[in-house]
Amino acid sequence: MLNFNVDFTGEFFAFFLLAACAIVGAVLAINFTKVVHMALSLAFTFVSLAGLYVLLQAEFVAFVQVLLYVGAVTILMIFGIMMTKHQSEGREPGRPLLETLAAIGCLCLFGILFYAIRNASFPKPQAELPEDNTMAIGKLLYSAYAIPFELVSVLLTVAFIGAVALAKREKEEEEEPK
Amino acid sequence: MQRFWNDPVSWGHAGIYLLGAIAILAVVIVFVTYAIYFERKVIGWMQYRKGPNRTGPLGLLQTVADVAKLLIKEDTIPAKADKALFILAPALAFVPSFLVLAIIPYGLNLQFADLNVGFLYYVALSGITTIAIILGGWSSNNKYALLGGMRSAAQMISYEVPLVLSVVGIAMMTESLNLREIVIHQEGYFWHWNFLPQIIGFAVFVVAAISELNRTPFDLPEAESELVAGYHVEYSGFRFAFFMLTEYIYVYAIACLATILFLGGWNPPAPQLDFIPGLLWFALKFAFIVFFLFWIRATLPRLRVDQLMGMAWKVLLPLAILNIFLTALGIEWWGKGG
Repeated sequence: MLNFNVDFTGEFFAFFLLAACAIVGAVLAINFTKVVHMALSLAFTFVSLAGLYVLLQAEFVAFVQVLLYVGAVTILMIFGIMMTKHQSEGREPGRPLLETLAAIGCLCLFGILFYAIRNASFPKPQAELPEDNTMAIGKLLYSAYAIPFELVSVLLTVAFIGAVALAKREKEEEEEPK
Repeated sequence: MQRFWNDPVSWGHAGIYLLGAIAILAVVIVFVTYAIYFERKVIGWMQYRKGPNRTGPLGLLQTVADVAKLLIKEDTIPAKADKALFILAPALAFVPSFLVLAIIPYGLNLQFADLNVGFLYYVALSGITTIAIILGGWSSNNKYALLGGMRSAAQMISYEVPLVLSVVGIAMMTESLNLREIVIHQEGYFWHWNFLPQIIGFAVFVVAAISELNRTPFDLPEAESELVAGYHVEYSGFRFAFFMLTEYIYVYAIACLATILFLGGWNPPAPQLDFIPGLLWFALKFAFIVFFLFWIRATLPRLRVDQLMGMAWKVLLPLAILNIFLTALGIEWWGKGG
């Protein structure tokens, strides 16, 4: 089960570097106390994950991920700056029982995931991968998956209109007392 | 995409990549040095002054002297700043600006990485610089710096949308996001270049690009009349130089992109002129765009902060979407000839 036979190509080094970066970013995001630091380490994780996508030859997914999450992290940072106090507060008192239970839960989850991933088989895809995978994604989106794609865009439009309506109503309420 | 990570790991390969990176860094630094000189000269002439003319022959060494001054200046960090982030921010701003240069094709075979999502790569990485600018503003612990950083975030995120949408028309005509294929598609006479069939897209692209560069008339993040110097007000010495370097590398990158996307890249204006090497045509078009940016800076006044957002969402975005619809109609009626 534990056969780690690897050949030392650039891909191998890149994978380990990116994986380590992703994990470090995630751990730091939990451990930091200031919200800006947290947002930054989240961005670090997202960029490392994008690097992993590039290794998997999914450039489109990788750069769309960077594009979207970087914007999201920027917004998160701004909200963090605006809605939290600049000087960080003291730490919360620890809760030993809860923390022990959480640690056991995490270890169990890790064990299950590790076992499942080691046992899973990854068969090679039958057909050759398309040369231009971005174009392949586009073609699939507008042919086989056109209806789900349109439904998602309707959902986004609804969310968008909802956000605008909420923002507008708040403004009107502010103006009424005058 | 080139599978460079399949190469065996050896010092030889590492050395080749390192040499490539150093070469492009040298080119970019020379460009930045003389772009700053050129900018000061051009704006000087437009304002009926002489511009820098003391240091070296014709003032050619002025920027070198300025950089030397920045290098030996005292490096100050405010006492109440968030030290780690204050130090990180300039580097984080610079790294993506340099990385975006990897995908720019200067000629048919002169390119570092042939990526099939070239344009998205540029937009995605340039967003990371926005994070660095906010970090710089926030970690300085200064009100003006923070306001500059906030404005920058709002502006960059708003103008990214029309910037991306203005290029969708080109992607539809070329059926690719690969920058090399976009240039190859524009072969022929100069009316085959994308700026004529995509004239609305070109206009939106230019406005959004100037805004993404934070240059006048969109330089609100560092509006010196209201915010002292914006997000880099607390920075001095080498760190300040890094922010400036980042800004000018983006000028380089956006001028290259505009050349590639709309002005036919290395293609000559007429096929009869192809005895002149493509790199020269590329450089000419590139120089024109850079000059255009300086010209705009010397001509137009700065926008107000409330006009800025309205411009992105109420003018540029509808125009970009209109351009997409018109392109779709054009392809439907006349095919892809443009």
